[in-house]
Amino acid sequence: MKALREAAEKLLREKRVSLVIGYEDRKGRPAFFAAKPEDCGRLAYDASCRQNLAAYLGKPEIRARLPVAVVAPPAVLRSIVVLTAESQLPPGQVLALAVDGDSFLGTFDAAGVAELLRAKYSTLAPEPALLERVQGLLQKSPAERAAFWEAEFSKCTRCYACRAACPGCYCSRCIVEKNAPQWISTAALGHGNYTWSVMRAFHQSGRCTLCGACEAACPQGLPLMLLNAVLDREALEEFGSRPGYDPEAKPLIGSWSADDDHSYMR
Amino acid sequence: MKTIETRRLPDLAQALSAAGYCVVAPIEEGGVVRFREWAPGLAIAPGAVPANSSKDFLFPRSEVVARFALEPGGFSPAPVERSAVKTVVLCARPCDAAALTALDAVFNWDYRDGAYNARRQAMTVVSLACSKADEHCFCTSVGGAPDGVAGADAILRPADGGQLLVLDELTEKGRALAQAAAGTLSEGPAALDAPAVLPRRFDSEAVGRWLAANFESPFWKEAALACLGCGACAYACPVCHCFDLQDETDHAECRRLRNWDSCGFGLFTLHASGHNPRPDQSARWRQRVMHKFSIYPQKFKTLACTGCGRCSRLCQAGMAIAATCERIEALGR
Ligand code: SF4
Ligand code: SF4
Repeated sequence: MKALREAAEKLLREKRVSLVIGYEDRKGRPAFFAAKPEDCGRLAYDASCRQNLAAYLGKPEIRARLPVAVVAPPAVLRSIVVLTAESQLPPGQVLALAVDGDSFLGTFDAAGVAELLRAKYSTLAPEPALLERVQGLLQKSPAERAAFWEAEFSKCTRCYACRAACPGCYCSRCIVEKNAPQWISTAALGHGNYTWSVMRAFHQSGRCTLCGACEAACPQGLPLMLLNAVLDREALEEFGSRPGYDPEAKPLIGSWSADDDHSYMR
Repeated sequence: MKTIETRRLPDLAQALSAAGYCVVAPIEEGGVVRFREWAPGLAIAPGAVPANSSKDFLFPRSEVVARFALEPGGFSPAPVERSAVKTVVLCARPCDAAALTALDAVFNWDYRDGAYNARRQAMTVVSLACSKADEHCFCTSVGGAPDGVAGADAILRPADGGQLLVLDELTEKGRALAQAAAGTLSEGPAALDAPAVLPRRFDSEAVGRWLAANFESPFWKEAALACLGCGACAYACPVCHCFDLQDETDHAECRRLRNWDSCGFGLFTLHASGHNPRPDQSARWRQRVMHKFSIYPQKFKTLACTGCGRCSRLCQAGMAIAATCERIEALGR
């Protein structure tokens, strides 16, 4: 942790950034914003840090304070690459303080992040525990799966904590809030809830880095990672998409090619 | 003393159910304890502060408040069924019960809210005194207590090291409930357990004084930096009651819905003109704190926070309202 703190302190002291977004050294490891070099002693990182701090990069209050540095474990590094590929980060304005487990890996700009990911994390795969959960679900019959999701979605209160947690959810006006015309029922009830969660996951397909922040944020404990993991696999198997490695890659759901498989259109 | 063994709470629920109550209780499912309708076979988890509050059963997250039938050439108002089922909230926390005073005030302020009041009248609240508190609890800083009775119709007090619960009736509704459950209650001595010890963390009046004078303080910008603007806190809060009216239409009818709203959302109080008097997250977080600790007490002589700590327990970004109040109190010194 000493190395992380020192690197953060150095960035602030040399005025290379105006803010370091990290995790605070206290229970729950909440987000912490170091604005002064002496604040950096309060930074910490460990495996219990569930928030994806790249979500702050879309927040107007943070964008007003660029350049900033973000404490970033591998999934968050990938989020930074996704945001770069989607032209969401002003060039040179975001630095990553890369961490993994107990180690501090160094300070990287967007290009450096992509290089680090390719060199060290190119075989990053979804966690085995998550894949097991997915397998368990896929073994159920379609009717059982429908019943499972119906029960889960019935708990959703539409608090949108899942959306707020995700760096990929940066739209200034989410489709769930559009009412002329209205696409998704706003009532926190079966049909609208179903559409909401499925739509949220679909909009992340080929963009989700499986960081787990959405599921961790859900106050009702919805197993959102099951949706994300299935879509991640589809994106990989059907389109060879591995989001968060190539800052030049066109986002899967934001691009179209004449060579795409169109056999579904009849 | 009227007592029941703690492990027999489901029997109490069964008796009340047989007496015609819809029984709501803290029930664990998938690792999350929630207030929900009890059914035979479900275990009751009395120890936890449920993720949701009992307000869900007075002011549901979405309800239809008006209907309009679509007809060729126009529409006509259609009746809305107002059902208020006789309900008991079993093992409400004292901080849930205390919230009722604050909710009653706003739902009967300039307009008597029919849907709320019908449910309120049909609801009996049986709280369970707390023998332990966690680091997020702060009822004693906002006028409550782990064994407080405000808002409750009856209270269960742990006794004999948690083995027994002693029932005290506090209102007519509470007495009616005790009668309905008489078959499951015993009469006998019990040694009451000590309620949780929870030192006061801040002086809410001092917080209110600072707030009234510091709407424009730079404190807000920095204090709200971590807030990501979701509704987790407001939706879990037993007192938060902002709502949004939405009209939704299908081929046959239009439904006017009353959905929960949260001051955390960017769309909160966004005017049709595009202007928003609360344009950024700091203004929205300020609204949350001001409403609870300054505006509400000025208007209704009660705080809009009962110290249940749900918002802080749930917040993914670690926003904690008690810690904010502590800092505010220090600023005012
Ligand atoms: S965080 Fe959970 S409860 Fe909130 S909107 Fe998302 S799925 Fe629904
Ligand atoms: S959708 Fe994917 S990237 Fe977004 S918070 Fe969830 S796991 Fe992370």
